[in-house]
Amino acid sequence: MIVPQIVFWVMAVIAVLGGLGVIASRQPVRSVLSLVAVMLALSVIFLLLSAQFVFAVQVIVYAGAVMVLFLFVVALLGPMGEGTSHHLRFHWGLSIVVVAVLGAFMYAQLQGIGFRAPDKLDTTFFGTVEQIGTGLFTTYLYPFELTSILLLVAAVGAIYLSRGGRTASEVRRQEEAHAEEDNVA
Amino acid sequence: MLQTLALALLLLPAAGALVLALTALTIPRTAVRLIGPGVVWLGFVCTLILLVDSLQNNTAHDYTYWTWIKSGAFNLPVNLLVDRLSIFMCLVVTGVGGLIVTYAVGYMDHEGDASYARFFCYMDLFIFSMLLLVLAGNFVFLIMGWAMVGLSSYLLIGFYYWRYSAVAAARKAFVMNVIGDIGLILATFAIFVQYHQTTFAGVFGALPKADGFWIEVIGFLLLVGAVAKSAQLPLHTWLPDAMEGPTPVSALIHAATMVTAGVYLIGRMHPIYDVAFWSHSTAALLGAVTALVAATIGIVQTDIKRVLAYSTMSQIGYMFLGVGLGAYAAGFFHLLAHAFFKALLFMGAGNVIHSMRDEQDMRKFGGLWKDMRVTSICFLIGSLALVGIFPLVGFFSKEVILGDAFSKPDQGGFPQVMWAVGFLTAILTGFYTGRMWWMAFWREAAPDRPVAQPHEAPPVMMVPVIVLTVLTVIGGGLQINAGFDVGWRKVEDFLAPVLGVLPWAPRSLEWIPTAATLLLGGVAFLLAYNIYVNHTWRPWSAAVPWLQRLLERKYYADELYDALFVRTMDGAANAGDKVLEEPVLDGLPTDIGAATRAGAGTLALTQSGFFRTYILVFVGGAAIALILILLVRATS
Amino acid sequence: MPDYGQIQVGAGTLDARLVLGLAFILFLLGALGVLVRRNPIVILVCIELMLNAANLTLITFAAQLHNLEGQLFALMTMTVAAAEAVVGLAILVDIFRVRDVEDVDELSELKG
Repeated sequence: MIVPQIVFWVMAVIAVLGGLGVIASRQPVRSVLSLVAVMLALSVIFLLLSAQFVFAVQVIVYAGAVMVLFLFVVALLGPMGEGTSHHLRFHWGLSIVVVAVLGAFMYAQLQGIGFRAPDKLDTTFFGTVEQIGTGLFTTYLYPFELTSILLLVAAVGAIYLSRGGRTASEVRRQEEAHAEEDNVA
Repeated sequence: MLQTLALALLLLPAAGALVLALTALTIPRTAVRLIGPGVVWLGFVCTLILLVDSLQNNTAHDYTYWTWIKSGAFNLPVNLLVDRLSIFMCLVVTGVGGLIVTYAVGYMDHEGDASYARFFCYMDLFIFSMLLLVLAGNFVFLIMGWAMVGLSSYLLIGFYYWRYSAVAAARKAFVMNVIGDIGLILATFAIFVQYHQTTFAGVFGALPKADGFWIEVIGFLLLVGAVAKSAQLPLHTWLPDAMEGPTPVSALIHAATMVTAGVYLIGRMHPIYDVAFWSHSTAALLGAVTALVAATIGIVQTDIKRVLAYSTMSQIGYMFLGVGLGAYAAGFFHLLAHAFFKALLFMGAGNVIHSMRDEQDMRKFGGLWKDMRVTSICFLIGSLALVGIFPLVGFFSKEVILGDAFSKPDQGGFPQVMWAVGFLTAILTGFYTGRMWWMAFWREAAPDRPVAQPHEAPPVMMVPVIVLTVLTVIGGGLQINAGFDVGWRKVEDFLAPVLGVLPWAPRSLEWIPTAATLLLGGVAFLLAYNIYVNHTWRPWSAAVPWLQRLLERKYYADELYDALFVRTMDGAANAGDKVLEEPVLDGLPTDIGAATRAGAGTLALTQSGFFRTYILVFVGGAAIALILILLVRATS
Repeated sequence: MPDYGQIQVGAGTLDARLVLGLAFILFLLGALGVLVRRNPIVILVCIELMLNAANLTLITFAAQLHNLEGQLFALMTMTVAAAEAVVGLAILVDIFRVRDVEDVDELSELKG
């Protein structure tokens, strides 16, 4: 009876602390790892909310694949620390103001909205793999196929983008060679 | 058949001009030599045919080809009026014009091929315009021909367009001609408003029989046009400058044809002038005054072409004097005679200029009687005709005018005053013509003569001169009844169906002034010898140097016009430029452009290039969208 | 926040407002991070955070309304997030080949 509450509160605290870690960490690795923590916390909350399949997918795909990709990229790009910024001095203050305004109005939006009574549904089987599978392949087949095409497009795009281009050192070498040619000519 | 012939007469020179214009850059010189004069001679043949028909049948033909404009009361046909007056003018234009264009074949031979073709294109264009002017059967086509003649004059005066003086002279001629065009156009408007007619036949039938305000206005406006085109006072300053053009141009346009268009206008409009007394008399007065003034200025000119130009101005004054008093046929006879001997004189001068390597200053001539015998003889005959020596045509034509002026009754002695002015002018004419002849031809060769052995002109230039000399000699036979009341008056009889018969008879004592003119003119011619050849007398200019200066400055007319009109217009244009052009017309688009660019520059600041700024604007926009939704929800 | 009712969680109930409040906070944190951080990878990570918050909202309402559409939509969102992360990272790697990017403010050549 109290167990769901305790689980929820623990996970909520972890999630908020992770969120703060995401935006406040100096090193990007720590941001990514904080996000992993947030995702895992959220997945437990999904489980609490009868979304078993989504819980599994969140852990396996999101935290397990997408975040790993982020970590690979961070490893590839090497250590990057943020120095002090020379541009945009008012940006910090403005950002906080804008986000506060956004939050305030989002909250204001929610006032005066009622909710409708829940549908009649057998909660024992709610959110099971079987139910989601049936839904995906019958009523929601069209969005499912579209999503798969989207994935294909993203994959092709990523391959293309990572194909060509020269590295920074190669660019520098080419520019120096051109400068020498111009001097000689 | 004659209808198409008349149209062909008009369009042949136009076709020639068009062909030469389109092919000027590639056409071979022999083709130009054929087409240029050829179309004019073909026109002359057509004119002869029309002449024969007119002599036989004595009917005037008003050929209407089609109706051009029919709008309410305004009905304008395309019609040509072929009567004795227009045939007379066409003979002068195509005949004398043909001779001059043929002469030009030789004179302009040193030009490049394209320039050569361009010259004959312009000449044919001029011939076409002049024919349109004299053949037109309604006021609109008259104006068209009138304006195109002015255009051709502009093109030909400025033929050597790389010379600033030529371009300035062409512009001056054109501007003054336009003043005349305005007079003519306003007269046409007035005629249409008053009498609702556009064709000559229509207008002359609808004129009032008594003098009145409007008919005088029309007469004066037409006179403005005539005065501008014929270079009479006060619109005369363009003619001497027009000598910048090549000599054949001076011969054709500024001696034989274009400047006589004013005389033609007054003659053609004689039904108007017979009624409008004041404008008619003003024409005579202007003519007489111009004749005298031009003769005085001609005495001090050193450029041989300028002497001839002022002489032309003076002789046209005589023509205006004649038609202004009502002696229309006399004026036209002098037009014909003047065409003969003035073209002859100009072409003779052209021969001299050509052999003197384009030198025109008479003070550097001399001794040409020995070296260019034929030209000298022809020039002498032309000069004597100009002075009015019996039996050359100039005597008959000038004495007809002076005799008619002397004999005219009524008008309170005004015709006799005009006669006196003409008489005085004749003496001065003798003097300046003599001066020209002795200085340029008879005396010993000047020490600074540019060519040691001047050669005679080639045949193509000599033959037209000789032809005109012959015409000058025998032309008097057309109207022997001049000055002495004996013999026939063929020109007057020929033109009588159009211009009417002279209303008064010559006085019995008319032979006295005639003889006096003849005698004193000849004496003046010979007197000049003593001053300019053997220098027995001092030049009159030594005694009165201020007079010499006054005449050389042409009575300061150019300076006066410059101060009155040119400076004023310049000032107005400059003021307009500063006040209107720069701030508003130039400034406004520039300012709009600058404002747009500034605005764009300001807007471009939003494209800072910083990703974070863009994201901030994103999120800010989302917030604003939320606010708007809230507002909508709150108000609904 | 209006009362969205209770969600049955096994034997107990969970106030929907609590979960939604968590999602709200996470979303704002993510938005703030996107605006403030200058490291490109961290920006992408913050975007993922925002997407997760949205997912949480969807699942919450799915559970509260007993409607499966929420969960299915959350699945789609997850797919889209993955695809977008992939492409974004590929672009980032591409830029990184040419120059070392630590600060997004340096990539300001598209100005004016």
